[in-house]
Amino acid sequence: MNGNARHSQAMHFTARAADKVRNPVLQQALQKAKPLFSGKRAKAMAALPDDGLEFEALREACAGIRDRALNDLDVWLEIFEENARARGAEVLWARDGSEICDLVIDVARRHGVKKVTKSKSMLSEEAQLNDALAAAGIEPVETDLGEYIIQLAGEAPSHIIAPAVHKTLQEVEALFAEKHGRPLEARTSADIPALTREARGVLRQHFLSADMGISGANFLIAETGTAALVTNEGNGRMVTTLPRVHVVITGIEKVVPTLQDFATLMRLLPRSATGQTISNYVSLLTGTRADDESEGPTKTVFILVDNGRADVVGSHYQDILRCIRCGACMNHCPVYFSLGGHAYGWVYPGPMGSVLTPLYTGIENALDLPHASTGCRQCSSVCPVRIPLPELMHGLRQEQQRRGLRPWGERLGLRAWAWVAGRPTLYRALTRIAARYLNWLADGEGRIRIFGFAPGWTTARDLPVVGAGKTFFEQYAASKRD
Amino acid sequence: MRIALYVTCLVDLMRPAVGFAALRLLESTGNDVVVPPAQTCCGQPAWSAGNRPLAETLARKAIAELENYDAVVVPSGSCAEQIRLSYPKLFADDAVWGPRARALATRTQELSEFLAGQGEPLEPPGEFAGSVTYHDSCKGLRGLGIKAQPRALLGRVRGLNLKEMADCEECCGFGGAFAENYADVSARIVDRKCESIAAAGADAVVGGDLGCLLNIEGRLRRRGDETTRVLHFAEVLAGETKP
Repeated sequence: MNGNARHSQAMHFTARAADKVRNPVLQQALQKAKPLFSGKRAKAMAALPDDGLEFEALREACAGIRDRALNDLDVWLEIFEENARARGAEVLWARDGSEICDLVIDVARRHGVKKVTKSKSMLSEEAQLNDALAAAGIEPVETDLGEYIIQLAGEAPSHIIAPAVHKTLQEVEALFAEKHGRPLEARTSADIPALTREARGVLRQHFLSADMGISGANFLIAETGTAALVTNEGNGRMVTTLPRVHVVITGIEKVVPTLQDFATLMRLLPRSATGQTISNYVSLLTGTRADDESEGPTKTVFILVDNGRADVVGSHYQDILRCIRCGACMNHCPVYFSLGGHAYGWVYPGPMGSVLTPLYTGIENALDLPHASTGCRQCSSVCPVRIPLPELMHGLRQEQQRRGLRPWGERLGLRAWAWVAGRPTLYRALTRIAARYLNWLADGEGRIRIFGFAPGWTTARDLPVVGAGKTFFEQYAASKRD
Repeated sequence: MRIALYVTCLVDLMRPAVGFAALRLLESTGNDVVVPPAQTCCGQPAWSAGNRPLAETLARKAIAELENYDAVVVPSGSCAEQIRLSYPKLFADDAVWGPRARALATRTQELSEFLAGQGEPLEPPGEFAGSVTYHDSCKGLRGLGIKAQPRALLGRVRGLNLKEMADCEECCGFGGAFAENYADVSARIVDRKCESIAAAGADAVVGGDLGCLLNIEGRLRRRGDETTRVLHFAEVLAGETKP
């Protein structure tokens, strides 16, 4: 079994989705977040011309940069490795999640590490690294505010840039009161700064006492051997500069050729993610502390991870590797905002997750995800690197069909329907019967309230019937006869 | 010009009035309008499910019966998108069907595109005493770029007052098989659409895709909204809006 599939609940999507959609607290949190995400991005994009920029041209450039890196991925990775080593960093390679854990624990043991501070890393979620660290007697502390909240709650991130977006203010208050050992207080949104200060007070002690920091990287810059980190809270700087040891864990697809490329991508990354022209912190981390420097780690380790990515390079799905993890696709997805991220069952939610999860955990282990879409194309219309997400999901649907992975009822139904639709005379006869049947089922107001052929439809809707029991073609033929 | 009206399977079965309204509007442009008699379904449900062989079979059938007209007009952004964007993809590497699919694609238009693209601005025969809000269907909007055309046409209907709703470009949650397979999720999405419609306070919600309209109407009624009309723009333009 694929190692990732062991930790995935993606095969239970339908049941989880039904559960999430009925959770009023979750729905309240999502309803609140939705307009914030899309509104901020829309505003930032509308202001692009003020800076002499144009969205379509920019995203063409960004997609081109990512393609250039992916088309010669091995070459850029070697260049990155050489330049990172030249600046004193160690570069390690991990095939999968368990190798990430082994390498990190090994580095920690070599350097006598007892406590690790972490800034956001989705790769460490792929590896379930926190569990492995704890099992090895090393204390992991998440320092991104959202990550800190869900670590306290014992949950997984539900969004790639806003990990605790599924939590309401009241839930966070209850959690802090319990975990920080203080009485529960009545809170309004005006108290958010106070809650943030509370977390900050706790985290400050950890920053000062940690032996090792673990971060991800938004990009790896090949020409300089640099990890680029795009953050807003400042915890990333603490994690990457205060401890003796800094470990960067990131996917092999994150490499870009040059600093100039990084600058271009930065035009769209913060705007797409949070609607900012630039994030509060942009850190370029290169090598270890030099002899004449007073800050920074004395040991820097890059762990570059495959975990399914290499198989996607050169496949029909390569475009998904352009992803720069801005979250815009999920922020504009009607399905994501009806469910939250946990329903998707693995690390990555929303449209990008519906493509990545089947690819990284096995197509047969995430059959629902490529179908968990209305095909509305809102995701691809906002993607800053022009990933054709609906087409990639459709490619996965085709692959499911080819491999016979769809339920037999669906396959039989489609085949029967297509067989009839290929025979106009039979089709006309059957649709005439269907029109009469629908009309007979409809009540006095022209509505079907329970419909056996499509029970899902009428669980939440009526089926309006207004054809008076006759199809268009039947009525048209009659009008021609008159 | 000889125009083929591609009625679509959903209009044929669920709302024939849309087909007749489209027919009348097309005839009013002074063209020769034909309803090709053997048409059934464009095959989008098969393609959407990922079943390429079935989608190809139905696409070949549609291409053969539609390719001999000067224009093919479809009162649905979704079906028009299937013919215009998906057929050429289906036969991208096919030496025989590829050119035929591409030729048909260039001659196929969604109804509002066709009507708005005529040299003489259309004088819609319909009247509508009241306000309408327009729902942009996803395939028409993001697939074919249809946004201004239906609004321009509706703007010429006497008495009609267009009130935009918030998030008019947001999906209604229909998505074909999605509405059946993920009924709860679909219902949650259409609930947000119903809230936007209610907030706009229009007498009718108007759109260009029957799938979306059935979804929206079905949910509005189930929620207890008995008054907001749900209409295809062809019905409004043609004046076919009697309850």
